[in-house]
Amino acid sequence: MEVRNLSHRYETSDRPLVVLDGLSFSIPPGGYVALTGASGAGKSTLLSILGGLEPPQSGHVHVGGHDLHALGGDELAAYRRSTVGFVFQHFGLLDTLTASENVEVALALAGARAGARRRRARELLAAVGLADRAAHRPGALSGGERQRVAIARALANRSRLVLADEPTGNLDERAATQVLDLLEQLPAERGCTFVVVTHDRTVAGRAPSRLHLAEGRFSTP
Amino acid sequence: MTWADAVLFAARGLVRRRSRAVLTLVAVALAAALLTALMMITETGRSRVLDQLSRGGPLAGIRVDAAVDDAEVDRVVNLPDVAAVVPIATTRLLVTADGAAVAAGKGAGEDQAVPAVPGGTDLEGIVGVDFRQADNLPITVLAGRLPEAQTATEVVVDQRWLERRGVAEGEEAGVVGSEVMLGAVREGAGGRHDPLAVRWTRAIVVGAVAQEAAPGGVLAPLPVVLDARAWTGGGEGATYEGLFVVARGLNQVDEARQQLAGLGLPSEAPENLIASVLRYLHVVELVLASIGAIALVIAALGIANALLAAVRERRREIGVLKAIGARDRDVRRIFLLEAVALGLGGGLAGTVLGWAIARGVGAVVNDYLSAQGLAGVTVALPMAVLSGGILGSAVLALLAGTVPAVRAARLPARDAMGEG
Ligand SMILES: Nc1ncnc2c1ncn2[C@@H]1O[C@H](COP(=O)(O)OP(=O)(O)OP(=O)(O)O)[C@@H](O)[C@H]1O
Ligand SMILES: [Mg+2]
Repeated sequence: MEVRNLSHRYETSDRPLVVLDGLSFSIPPGGYVALTGASGAGKSTLLSILGGLEPPQSGHVHVGGHDLHALGGDELAAYRRSTVGFVFQHFGLLDTLTASENVEVALALAGARAGARRRRARELLAAVGLADRAAHRPGALSGGERQRVAIARALANRSRLVLADEPTGNLDERAATQVLDLLEQLPAERGCTFVVVTHDRTVAGRAPSRLHLAEGRFSTP
Repeated sequence: MTWADAVLFAARGLVRRRSRAVLTLVAVALAAALLTALMMITETGRSRVLDQLSRGGPLAGIRVDAAVDDAEVDRVVNLPDVAAVVPIATTRLLVTADGAAVAAGKGAGEDQAVPAVPGGTDLEGIVGVDFRQADNLPITVLAGRLPEAQTATEVVVDQRWLERRGVAEGEEAGVVGSEVMLGAVREGAGGRHDPLAVRWTRAIVVGAVAQEAAPGGVLAPLPVVLDARAWTGGGEGATYEGLFVVARGLNQVDEARQQLAGLGLPSEAPENLIASVLRYLHVVELVLASIGAIALVIAALGIANALLAAVRERRREIGVLKAIGARDRDVRRIFLLEAVALGLGGGLAGTVLGWAIARGVGAVVNDYLSAQGLAGVTVALPMAVLSGGILGSAVLALLAGTVPAVRAARLPARDAMGEG
């Protein structure tokens, strides 16, 4: 992943709000980076640009073979589908679907057939230790269990990049540790690049490298 | 995302917001029921009125009261707005009140001179038509049947004949089977009571009818009248005394009459009254259908409203769906499917309900009609109403779903990060 001179601003009613101001950095394949910063520093914004949720406004963002600046709406969707796996603080599960179906939706969007989908979902749920909860809806799962389903979903399409925004923000310490263990282990096993946004020092401390955002730039905390 | 996946997803969305979906569905169903019931009731009323009116003959009938020959008949047949033409020949013959009165005529065939004619005979108008075309004529059989087209010995008597002889309504069957003698009087001979100048023909009255084809008292096969006229020596030149013309449709009656006038043929179409009755019925139909359609549009707005609320509530969920790779069109499809499901389900339930309502109303009306001694109505569900109710609801729902679906599809994927 190669980011050069990335800037991002939001147009507010009175004046433009510069959130990212000429960021440049790179993360090697399989890298593991913790992104920290005060609330409102632009961590989520950076993550959503890297994950193709928002097109970059200026600068260069290359992820894998993709120049995100050049991708249109459907191409960005394809990029998200094939390359990126998201893990949100709010888990982001679809609560009308079972755990297994939540994983399967990601596979369905990528065009997988029903049989293959079910097999892969079972595999992934087993990997996050939820083989016996596959038929349960999110409402019947604890926060930690939901986040583990979300991790399984993030890995469903063999994504090269896993982006987690405060993945442990809504979890108690034990669940947080369990989720973090999985988040470190599973992407690493699969050679994924892993970026985690957090303001939890212990979480940040586990990462081999850290980036700290302040006033639109990287700094040392 | 395949259609099957989208359908599953849409279904789950509806099931989750069950109470809202049910309320929306009920609104659509009630509107579709209203539309269906109104359409069925007006359709039933219309066919009943048409049925009653068409007892008097073809609705688009036109009478031409002028002497015409075969060449002119051909010209009328070829007029653009004319569907059928029935030539009518008339003459006046002596008709015995009852066959039994002509004692000497027993066993007599054609051209049999009858020595004495009782005083009861009278000159009667005889109308000759081709009975193969009876469906195109304003003739209603009251009793018995119509004569065979080819025979020279069968006639029917009409309402004027019955009236003159004091046959009461409902007793028309009494004249069926009686025998009459038709006497053609040669012109210039010693007058109508000169027995030598009268050619008598025997005929059986096979039925009693009400007819408006031409004034007369007896309706006979066309050859009978033409034959008799040849004997009397009247009707030189023209072959027929008139025509009964059927226009292509009620709305073509005026055009057909203009075309007849172009051939120099005066015409009258008293049945134009029917056209105005039908036009009035059509207006009623339109008004009722609009009421139903407005109800359906209101229901569709309900769908739009429910889906817009769902889009608002599901901003983050839609964002998440996009974050895991859904394209705008996948999201759009899900919401459109939800809308169509509501429309189709509501339309289906509503049409069935409307059908039941119309049947119920029909039963009440039938009770009333039979209490009045009238025939009942049959309430049918026309395919047009059935498919229109269901498809119409689905299409309206699709239209109603467009705005929410497009709005959902345009939501930024970034909303996946939201706290909402
Ligand atoms: N759509 C938007 N329009 C205007 N301003 C926005 C928009 N989205 C984010 N912002 C602003 O951009 C800044 C960065 O937001 P961002 O969500 O990236 O912060 P963050 O670092 O993730 O904060 P937190 O730790 O609280 O999640 C904030 O000041 C926020 O108010
Ligand atoms: Mg954030």
